[in-house]
Amino acid sequence: MTFKDFYQFAAPTRVISGRELIASTGFEFAKEGAERVLVVTDRVIRDTGLVEKVEGGVADGGLEVVGVFDDVPQDSDTAVVMRCAEQAKDQGADSLLAVGGGSVIDTTKGANVVFSHGGTIPEWEGVFGLPRERDGMGRPLRLAPLGAIPTTAGTGSEASPVAVIKDSERGIKFVILDFPLAPDLAILDPESTATLPAPIAAATGMDALTHAIEGVTSTEWSPHGDAYALHAIRLIRDSLERAVADASDEEARGNMLVAANLAIAPTGFGATGITHSMSHPCGARYGVPHGVANAINLPPVIEFNAVASEEVADQFGGAAELLGVDARGGGEQVGRALADHVRELRARLGLPGRLSEVGVPEQGIPQLAEDAMGEGSTLVNPREPTADDFVELFHKAL
Amino acid sequence: MAYFKDAQDVYDTLGKLFVDLAEDEELAPKFRKANTIVRYEYRQPESTITVRLQEGQPGDVDFGESGMEPEVVMSMEADTAHRFWLGQVNVTVALARGQIKAKGPVAKILKLVPLTKPVFPRYKAQLEAQGRSDLIEA
Repeated sequence: MTFKDFYQFAAPTRVISGRELIASTGFEFAKEGAERVLVVTDRVIRDTGLVEKVEGGVADGGLEVVGVFDDVPQDSDTAVVMRCAEQAKDQGADSLLAVGGGSVIDTTKGANVVFSHGGTIPEWEGVFGLPRERDGMGRPLRLAPLGAIPTTAGTGSEASPVAVIKDSERGIKFVILDFPLAPDLAILDPESTATLPAPIAAATGMDALTHAIEGVTSTEWSPHGDAYALHAIRLIRDSLERAVADASDEEARGNMLVAANLAIAPTGFGATGITHSMSHPCGARYGVPHGVANAINLPPVIEFNAVASEEVADQFGGAAELLGVDARGGGEQVGRALADHVRELRARLGLPGRLSEVGVPEQGIPQLAEDAMGEGSTLVNPREPTADDFVELFHKAL
Repeated sequence: MAYFKDAQDVYDTLGKLFVDLAEDEELAPKFRKANTIVRYEYRQPESTITVRLQEGQPGDVDFGESGMEPEVVMSMEADTAHRFWLGQVNVTVALARGQIKAKGPVAKILKLVPLTKPVFPRYKAQLEAQGRSDLIEA
């Protein structure tokens, strides 16, 4: 097995996982230095009653809930981030607690940067650009304590050092990536996904599977990342369909939360691939939900990538074996078998199988291909794609 | 010890490469598709190169202070920039290690990375023509 010239790995988020943990949110968050907490969520989650339980859990731990910001839309943007940061300041918060899916958690991460370091959120766009000691070359300056209770099992944002935020003025989504962005605490309790609708559970679960498969096949794969992602694949294999089929299956929902949390580990440090390069512009231009886009784009990308080299074929083979797929033969056979397995899984989950079903028009493909070429994930894909390759891949997914 | 002795040394070598690329009939239009203004802030020695990569605009390259407002700022040691243009730096690794820091819409610049490969031998040839084999062997 290759000894890599370089990789780095960190898992800075303290994860607690189990049942009935919501009630001890305050007890756990206090260990991260929180005292006066602003809870950040959306109205849909608030209406489920979960936020009320979280507030009770915070108070039970002797902390104060200074306010609830429940104004995060499904596709949050810079204006929401700024309002959230302002509310945190106005209400005298010293910490933020996200209760929601990827949009809520990323909004909270962005708000925390502005709350802690000032400025406007677009000013912080970039990679490893948060303030540091020693004139920017030393230890990163701390952000306010941040906790996260994910209510979907997919993005893994509760444990990643990345925030993706929409800038409506510029018509783009931008990325902030730096170690301090990773939440200090993630609470994985199946109670938080009890009301998750099946189609969203399915789509977000496929997002987690995409993270795991791309995590172990990217040029930025690492042994540490593999340890996380390969176990995530096992959990997804055993739990995703159960969690989607039966919302009362607490064990399956709990394991999917753990799977999503594990699967993000390599992705959070850049081990990703062109499924993401294709899915991001599908979301930005046509509003295709990220998990749905990944579920559609992943199979053709697997077939494209698996023939990159023997080593890459082996990496796909390892993932395929864990999913119970016959992974014998060369890259082409492994790729086809794994891609077919993903297509069948997607169909069993009731997800759309083609981009044309979710509003992507054929005439949009040249622009989507150009957008995909400009995605950071393209640089770390195991096989270097051309713009023509992307056109072909989008046609296959259409 | 740093490869370049002062800012002028950076401008005479790396800077000249940027000027030549801005005038290249084949590559310049591809780079300008990025549609941005990039400022490269180098350390050791302190030096700054600002480049306009905008479709339909002249390929301006400024050394030192510039009136162009950058959208993307890439900061690194001048040595890292030099080794990049010799094809010796993996950008994703350099970003991950913090050897290159990027502020702004980084994707616009990452998109250009595959286009830079044909430039590596050109930079080497330029240094040879300038009698700077010391920089090639460094």
